[in-house]
This record gives sequence, structure tokens and C-alpha cells, in this order.
Amino acid sequence: MVEYVCSTMGYRVGIDIGGAFTDLVAYDDETGDFVWVKDETTPQDPSIGVLNTIIKSKVDFSKVFSIIHGQTLVINTIIERKGARVGLITTKGYRDVLELQRSNRRDMYNFRYKKPASLVPRYLRIEVEERTMADGSILIPLNEKDVKEAINKLLKEEVESICISFINSYANPLNEVKAGEIARQMTDLPVTLSHEIIREWREYERTVTAVLNAYVKPKLETYLEKLEKEFVKSGFKRIPLVMLSSGGTATFDFAKKFPIYTVESGPIAGVIGGIYLAKLIGEKNVIILDGGSTTTKASLVENLIPRVHTEYHVERTRFTTGYPVKVPVVDIFEIGNGGTSIAWIDEIGNLRVGPKAAGAYPGPACYGKGGKEATVTDAYVVNGLINPEYLLGGAMKIYKELAVKIIKEKVADHYNISVEEAAEGIIKLANENAAYAIRVVSVQRGYDPRDFTLIAHGGSGPMFAPFISEELEIKKIVIPVIPPGVFSAWGMLTTDIRHDLIFTEIVRLDKEKAVERINTIYKELEERILNIFKEEDFDVREVITLRYADMRYYGQEHTVKVPILSGYIDSSGINTIIERFHEYHERAYAFRLTSPVEIVNFHIVGEYKVKKFELKELNNKTYSRDDAIMYEREIYINGKHLEVPVYNKQKLSPNITIDGTAIIEDPTSTVLVLSSQKAVVDKYGNVNILRR
Amino acid sequence: MSKIDLFTLEIIKNGLITANEEMFYAFGRTAKSPVIYEVLDYAVGITDSKGELVAQAPGVPGFSGVLDFVAKEVVEKWDGEISPGDVYVLNVPYKSGTHLNDVTLAMPVFYKDELLSLILNKGHWSEVGGMHFGSWTSDSTEVYQEGMQLPCVRLYRDGKPNKDVIDIILENSRLPEHTLGDMEAQVASMKVASKRIENLIEKYGIEMVKYSMQKIIDDGYKLALINLQKLPKGDFEAEDYIDDDGLTDEPVYVRVKVTIKDDEFIADFTGSGKAKGSIASPFPATVSGVRETYMAVTDPHAHLNGGYFRPLKVIAPIGCVFYPVKPMPTSTFWEAMSYTTDLVWKALAPHTPEKLTAGHFLSILATILGGVDERTGEPFAIVEPQAGGWGAGYDMDGESGLVACGDGETYIASNEVYEKRMPILVDRYCLNIESGTGHGKFRGGFGVIKDYRVLCNEAYFTVSIGRNKFPPWGVAGGTNGTPNYCVIYKQGEEPKIVRKVAAVKLKRGDVVSLRSGGGGGWGDPLERDPELVKMDVKNEYINIDTARDVYGVVLDPKTLEINWQETKKLRETLRKKTKS
Repeated sequence: MVEYVCSTMGYRVGIDIGGAFTDLVAYDDETGDFVWVKDETTPQDPSIGVLNTIIKSKVDFSKVFSIIHGQTLVINTIIERKGARVGLITTKGYRDVLELQRSNRRDMYNFRYKKPASLVPRYLRIEVEERTMADGSILIPLNEKDVKEAINKLLKEEVESICISFINSYANPLNEVKAGEIARQMTDLPVTLSHEIIREWREYERTVTAVLNAYVKPKLETYLEKLEKEFVKSGFKRIPLVMLSSGGTATFDFAKKFPIYTVESGPIAGVIGGIYLAKLIGEKNVIILDGGSTTTKASLVENLIPRVHTEYHVERTRFTTGYPVKVPVVDIFEIGNGGTSIAWIDEIGNLRVGPKAAGAYPGPACYGKGGKEATVTDAYVVNGLINPEYLLGGAMKIYKELAVKIIKEKVADHYNISVEEAAEGIIKLANENAAYAIRVVSVQRGYDPRDFTLIAHGGSGPMFAPFISEELEIKKIVIPVIPPGVFSAWGMLTTDIRHDLIFTEIVRLDKEKAVERINTIYKELEERILNIFKEEDFDVREVITLRYADMRYYGQEHTVKVPILSGYIDSSGINTIIERFHEYHERAYAFRLTSPVEIVNFHIVGEYKVKKFELKELNNKTYSRDDAIMYEREIYINGKHLEVPVYNKQKLSPNITIDGTAIIEDPTSTVLVLSSQKAVVDKYGNVNILRR
Repeated sequence: MSKIDLFTLEIIKNGLITANEEMFYAFGRTAKSPVIYEVLDYAVGITDSKGELVAQAPGVPGFSGVLDFVAKEVVEKWDGEISPGDVYVLNVPYKSGTHLNDVTLAMPVFYKDELLSLILNKGHWSEVGGMHFGSWTSDSTEVYQEGMQLPCVRLYRDGKPNKDVIDIILENSRLPEHTLGDMEAQVASMKVASKRIENLIEKYGIEMVKYSMQKIIDDGYKLALINLQKLPKGDFEAEDYIDDDGLTDEPVYVRVKVTIKDDEFIADFTGSGKAKGSIASPFPATVSGVRETYMAVTDPHAHLNGGYFRPLKVIAPIGCVFYPVKPMPTSTFWEAMSYTTDLVWKALAPHTPEKLTAGHFLSILATILGGVDERTGEPFAIVEPQAGGWGAGYDMDGESGLVACGDGETYIASNEVYEKRMPILVDRYCLNIESGTGHGKFRGGFGVIKDYRVLCNEAYFTVSIGRNKFPPWGVAGGTNGTPNYCVIYKQGEEPKIVRKVAAVKLKRGDVVSLRSGGGGGWGDPLERDPELVKMDVKNEYINIDTARDVYGVVLDPKTLEINWQETKKLRETLRKKTKS
């Protein structure tokens, strides 16, 4: 049995690659020692940035007992179209699934609309004779000769990765398995079978997910292997883990086989970290806001359970449909609004902020790296909301005069107003954009944001949050004690090993056979999921399984995910499930029906709980409020200049109360406590912002 | 107004637009009819006190023009009598747009005694009475056969349901429970928007909110004028034929003259013929159809509001296929309506290549396949549009397999879902390579073939196919696309090609093959990059003979290498041939 997580001697390390920075955090469970570093992300070879953070952190990796890694290589490979040359083998009659897609026109008034291009050109899509029916019976057995010819043709065309996806393989993968065996005998190229990725119906979605897996596989394999070697060189002796989109973690080997399961990672870890924090401080319903340098992300969490769904899309915007990826992903909404978002004046003369951003390079004008656009950060600097001298604890020099100049040129002169007024306009619109993200995950989904506590992290999240809570009447904001700028990397330390299995079969609960079928399916899924853990050398006695079902009213299309009882389910158990479904449906859609209820997807989660550290209470810190004041700074807010105290967040002791208007800083972020608010520090050092 | 208020105004503007969006999602979430939450067959909007559009969110592009007509009808008809707590209901097609199934509700928003705004929600009701179940039909000759007419009456008074009117509605519906459910979901979603507007007033004051509404409209007009500047000026004409008049096999001649000036965009359909059956497009739908192309050609992402549409004027002679009058039927209005979009498009495409493509397959291809699944004893029905080929652009090939211009964020269902839920086998779902597509320097996109095999004892098939006799048009020397059609394969009978059939009986093993057409081409095929022609052959979009005969590209049959010398020669010969 390998010791992934058994020992608690030494450090636990989270490494998160972001667009601009690679973050490393290390936490010593015993001593509570906490180390964090940031270094530039190296897009050409992201492992270089990872190594730089390792060196910079000075952590002795022979004393590290676990590494959890979140990478952006998978998503970037897709977005930049730099994946492998994939060959696809399909059922006869279905060669064009990738090209037809679902035929929707998301940008409906654009008569030059284009769907996302097929990642496999038509000549690399080959049909073979075979047919499985929806009930799993085989109508036409696999024509093995066709498969061999197809593979030979693909090899001749020098494909780098092979994908096989047959109609109805979710119901019975037999033909797909056979074709896979032939392929694996004939070549050493990576082979992806659609049913191995997901067992859900819908041929386009399943096929494109499998093709994306095949597309990124060679690259991620190479990268993880390289990283593994580097970890070993640094003295690390155990098996490193990757962050999954589902909010759990898995071994590097799993990720090499199923890289598409890691399509989102960093932001997901932020949500999991937020849930950990919420639990610690006794909150159940939270919205987690992650304000980054180019985007703002929001995720709503009810009862401390992240909403995990399979409706994720790469490159989906208001006007583009993107590629569906049917793997479990924690539900996060993202908009193009962050610290480096660009302020601009549209054709009719109105001020707008985002979605374009200056990013890390050239960055805001005030970075002095040649930025020629007015950004949100420039506006903060102009109005004194962030330290006009330096950022990142002095690591980054700020040129205020450049910020003033650019905002004057780009905005103030246009409206003939002062630079401060213009900067305030930019800040207001950026806050408004961030508030919109929160409205989407709450109001648009039937929740009232006033029932939730807001946890804000990321470089700009704590800056947006106080304004948003005013706008949406949110009662409490929590700014974590962990530096908000490395919160996602820290969130990785709070994750568990996790696998998900989702299986489509329609079972109507009013039918007699339902009891037997439901028990059989869950039992089979539980055995399968335990086997996955077993193959990875985990002690299966430690694995907890959770059951869910995607359920709906018979005759309707939309489903809701409902937690299902464990153990044997008898007919009274079925009634409990039905009643639970009615409740969940009513919450999501505001009505109940008398129609029969059916299960569409059986979903099982296996979790191997990692022994977690405890966030320590701050007993020994005895700074007074005045000790934490660094100095006073003039800021500009609501049309007025104001002198406000600036507090050092790292010196805030429990129970200290700070009335607004005030500024609280740490090296990665700044919080502005508004005049209508007060900040109260809890026993862990988290800053709670409440209404006065 | 102080300078800072300038930016607050932006925030209130966003608030109004978000209020409308939230109403859109609330209705989609709470509606009980699949046609609402799957096909998004609805639209919501907010107007000012005069009925001028401030914001709207149509689920399908064809609904972009129908809400303001209703708002103006409410304001005119009930002038001086509109009170807080009222909700008005209207579905008369000549006034509200489409067909009787589409019912619009209007809710006034007041501040103290002052009417500030109207909130609108147009949704498809599953049942409004009439001669057939589900109300809409293709065989009506008068509107009276298509269901009950609700002529802008009060559905709610003082915030309470008006029992008199509601009882009449429910008595006339075959599915009163569904009808009531659809109606209640509409009202609930409208309350979401009204609450949000009230919050904005509370926070920023009534004057700021009123000013913001006005600013949205003014900004819309400003943007429209800026965008009109970028368009070519003058008169642009196009003509075409609709396959039939709705009752007989006779085509209907249709035409448009589009006039673009600095501050006007006029679409004049004078000269167009008449409908006999239910295909006619009520005037508000005609305006909607033109607005689609107006959006496409000016700015597809502009906010839809009254100011943005102000330069647009639509003229259609009363009684023609684009302006039916009572009691003309309008159940299948989309058949003519799609031509209003397409005619303006056809007139402008050669002159606005950055915005428009060549003609596309156009028809919704409304398909119904239903029966009883004897495995379960339950009835089943597929009711769906089909995807088809879109036209080429001046710099790009057309898209293959997209829904028609009348549909937007409409998803074609998954075949695996159909096969699981219904006694149907989808033998193939692929590009319609055999019909081909319009050729050109850039070629049209391909249509789709979908073969349904019946796996139960008995099923019924209905289809309404347009653009069968008159294929999608090419531009600038690009050839026309290919027609839409359907083949019915009954066992023991010759295959039958059809375009419009109702309730054809099918037996186990019979197949219906739906085939949508390819889009029109753009530019001379002899100018197509031979490398692209080679890839088309390699991808089996075209064969080597078409490459030679149409594109003048000579390829080695084995390696597909381009024979540049032969290609040059052949292209010269073919050019001479076309000249003579």
C-alpha cells in the first residue's frame, strides 16, 4: 500500500498554475508553518515555472508528504488548438457527428455564425460496420476487418492519437471494447474509448469529450512525466496528485489516462478551499468569489456541497457555443472582469470595462511595462485604493504617474472630468460586472443572494466584495486569513481523492422492477469505483461512496441531481427518493407535477478522505488594533478625498473591530471597508466584513 | 446631472437589461411546457410608458419584433385606464404578431400614480382551442378555426386574477391545466422584473430610472445611425417564390425593395402576392423577420431596443402574404415570415459581404413523427425542426448543418435520446453529400440526412418543407444551393419523394429520410484555391469529377496531387466556355 496521505510528517504542498503566476503553498501540519511563493507562469513549458516556485520556496521536498498540482495545460492545449492529430472511428452512418454537433446558432443575429470547428477533419473520421441498440443489444456485431482497415488508414495518415466512439456504447460498450482491443494490438499510440470516459447518453457530447481526451493526452502525459522526474530530483518520495475538475484529486497516472478530467483545476480548488473555510467558521451557504487579473468567477455552494455537474463547455460565451465536456466539473460562472480589465469608450460614448484585459504583460499602465490601456488596477492606484508604491509586498514597483496619465488620456479627457472621477467610474463598472457574476449564480438560478455569505479571494476579489455586498444586500463577507492571492493553491490542500462514475439508464420509479434495478446498478457502480481505488493501491476500506441520481418527471427533459440513500433501497426508500426529488425540483423550477418520476443518470462518487490539517486559531497573536495600522493614506471615494488608516492584515488579532472607511492590506490583495461597514477579525484571523 | 451620475446611469441601464434577462430565465425555469424551456419559443421585454422598447430578450430571433406592437396596443386601447395590478392578454395575430398559440401578457409598472413601464412576456401556449388538438394547423382557411382570440383584455385586476376572462380561456382549451400553468409561469416571471425595477427606483430614484430608460433608447438610436453610416446607400431589390400558397400547389411571388439612407432603412414588399392558406406572416411578424436581417447587417450584438429599430420602416400592402387581415389564417406564419428575412438578405448580400452570406436552406422543415410505443403502451412524438446548409461568405465556406434563420439557440435532439425513448432507429445522421451544395470560390455548407426507421407497428409522419422548388441562392457567380426534400421508403412500395405531407401512416421497418439542402456558393468556382478543392476531395465533400468539371482542378486519382499545369489549362478552357 503506498503512503499517499497516511503520514502527517512534514509538508503538504499545493501548486497552482494560473494565467500570470504559478503559486506554491506549503503547510506543515505539525508546526502550522505556512509558506507561499509566486513566480511567473512559463507558458512554453509550464514545468519551468513550477520548478522556479519550488526553488524559491526553499521547502525541503524530502520532507514533503503530498503534492497536489493544478495545471492549465489541458485547457490551453484545447484553446490554442495545439493538441494531437486525432483519428476517430465511428459507427456507420455517424461519420459527421463532430461536424453536425447540435446545430444551434447561439449568436442568432450573426448570419456569418460559425460552429466550433471539428477537431478531427473528415478524412480522419472513419466509419465501421457495427450497431448497438439503445437497450444494449447488439444489432450488428463489430466488423473487425473494417476496424483493421480503419486503423491502417489512420496510421498511414500519421495520426498521433486514436479515439473510438460508437452509437449507444453507453448502454453496452462491447463493440467499442473489441475495437479498442484491436487498436491496442495494432499500435502503441494512445487509444481513447468513449465509454471509458463517460457512460452518459448523447452521441455528440460523448464523442467530443472523448476526442478532446485523445487530443490532449500525448501532451499531458509528457508534461506529467517530466514533472514527476523533477519532483523526484527535488527529493520528493511519494506519488503526486493532480487536481480534478470535480473538486477532488487523483494520481498522476489517472490524469495521464483521462486528462480531460482535469480541464479546470485552479478555480475549482478555490471553491473547495472556500467550503473548507465555511465549514470551519460555521457557515453552510456561501458564494465563493474569485477575482483574478483577467476574470471574475463565482460559485454558489448550498449546504457545504459543491454543485458538480456535467454541463461544462470549453470556450462557451454569450455568442459562442464551445465544446461540451461531459466530465464532472464544479459549477463556476466566469466573466471577463478582473484587475487588469481594460476600460474603454464604446462607439456611442459610454464607458465600459472588460472583457479585454491587459493581463500580466504588458499589464496595467502603472506596471511600467509598456501598458497603453487604462485598467481597473490603474484606477485603484489613481484613487489610492491600492498601495500606490508597490504590490506583492514590494516585489513589484508601481508607477502612479503612468496610471494618472493613461486614465486622463483614455477616459477623463473624453468626459471632461477629473482623473479621480474617471477612475471612480471605472471602479464602479468593474464592481458592477463582478456583481453580475454573483447574480447569475444566485438570482438566475432561483436563489436569493441575501441568504448567502460571500467568501472573496483572488487578487481583486476582496476589492470587489464590499461594493457587491452593498449592491446585493449581502450581510457578511469573509476575507480568508490565507493570502487571497494564493487561496486556490491553498484550497488544493483541503481536497480529497475522488472518482466519479455516471451511468445513463432510464428507470421509472413507479414500475415494479425499479427496486431491483436501482439496487443492482448502484451495487455495480460501487464495485467498479472501489476497483478503481484498488488499482491505484488505496485502502478501499477507507473509501466513502456517495450516491446521486439525475432525476426528472416522466415526459420532461430537464433533470435535477438528488442525493440517494446508501445501502439497500426498498420500496419505502423509493418513496423517500421520490419525495426528495419533488423538493429539489420545486426549489430549482418552482413547481411540482403529479407525473411519474424517473432516474436518468446514476451517479456515484468515491472519496478517499485525506487527513486534513486544522487551520490554527490565533492564540499567540496579541497585536492591538493600533499595532496593525501601518499608516494613513489619502483615497478618493464617492466624489471626495479622504484620509483613511491602512491596516496590515497579517497583524490583525482576533476580535479586533475596524470601522469603515478603512483599508486592510496583505501582500497579495487589498480590502476597502466602506463607511457603512465594519471589519471584525475572527479567531483564525479571517476578516469578516459586516454592515454597521 | 453631476458628472459621476454619468456612470451611475450605466449601472441603472445594466440593471434594466439584467431585470429583463432575469425574467427570461425565470420563465424558462418555471414553465411546464417543453416548447418553452427546450425550444425557447418565447420572448420577454420591457418598454417605457409609451410602449417603446427598452430591453428585450427573444428566445428565437423571429420574436425580436413582436413585443412592442403589443405594448403600443395596450397603451392605445387602455389609454388613461391602465392601473397598478393590471395584466393584459393579447394573441390576435394581426396585432400581436404570429399565431394564436403565442400569447402575450403585459404588466404595467407604476411609481405612485405614474405609469413608468410595461413588462411583456410572449409565450407559446400548448392549447388555445380551435379545430385540431394543439391548435395550430396547416389546413385552416380562417383564423376562427385556429383557436380563441384574446383581444387585449384584462387578465388580472388589482393584482388578482380576473376570473371572468380566465374562465372563458380555460373553457376553450383542451388542456386547461397546461394553459393555466403556462399563464401563471408567465405572470410569475414578470413579477421578477417588476420587483427589480422597483428596487432600482428605491435605490436611485424615479428620475434616474426614467432617465436611464430614455438613455437606453437614445443610445440605441445613436448606435443605429453610426451603423447605418457604414452601409452602402441606395435601393436594393430582390425577388423570389414561396413554394406554395398554403392551400394549392401554386407558388407565391414575393419581392422587396430595400432603401438605405443615412437615417433610414426601408423594406418595401409592394408587389408581393397573396396567400390562400395559413402561411401568411402577420405584419408584426413581417417586421420581426426584417429586423433579423437589419440586426445581422448592422450589428448582431447590439441591444435590441426601440431606439435601435427607429430607422427601420417596413411597408407591405394590406392583404398580401406579408400583411394578412382578418379573418385570414396565420397558423404556419413562419413559412412566409422566413422569406421577409431572406428577401432583405438576398437584396443586400452582394453589397454587404462582411455581414451576410449567400442564401441558406431557410425552411424550418417542421417534422412530426408519432405513434404508440407498444412496449409500454405510451404515445410518443418527435416534434422538431431540421438543420441544413448555410450559404458561403465572400471569404469562407458555408456552415454545414445549422438550424435555419428562424431558429436560434435551438438544439437538434440527440439520436441516442430518441432511440432510448421512442421505438425509432436512426439509421444514419450525416452530411447530405449526395445532394451537394452551391459551388463557388467559396462553397455552401452541406445539408443533413436523417433516416428514421420505425420500430413499432404503426406511426404517423407529418412534414412541412419549404425551399423545395426554389433552392437557396448563390452570390457573385456562386451557384445556387440544393433543395430540401424528404423520401418515404415504405416496404413493398417505390420510394416516394415528398415536400408536404400530413399524417402519413407508416409500418414497422418503414423509413423516412429527411434531406435538407446545401447553401448557395459565393464567387466563381474557377477561382477557388485548388488546395481547398483538393482537401474537399480528400474529405469526400466533393468527388474528383466535380473537382474537374465544376472547379477546373485536375487531381491525380491516386495521390490527389494537383496537376497545376492541367488545372491552368482546364480553367482557361472552362472560362472561355462560360463566356461564349
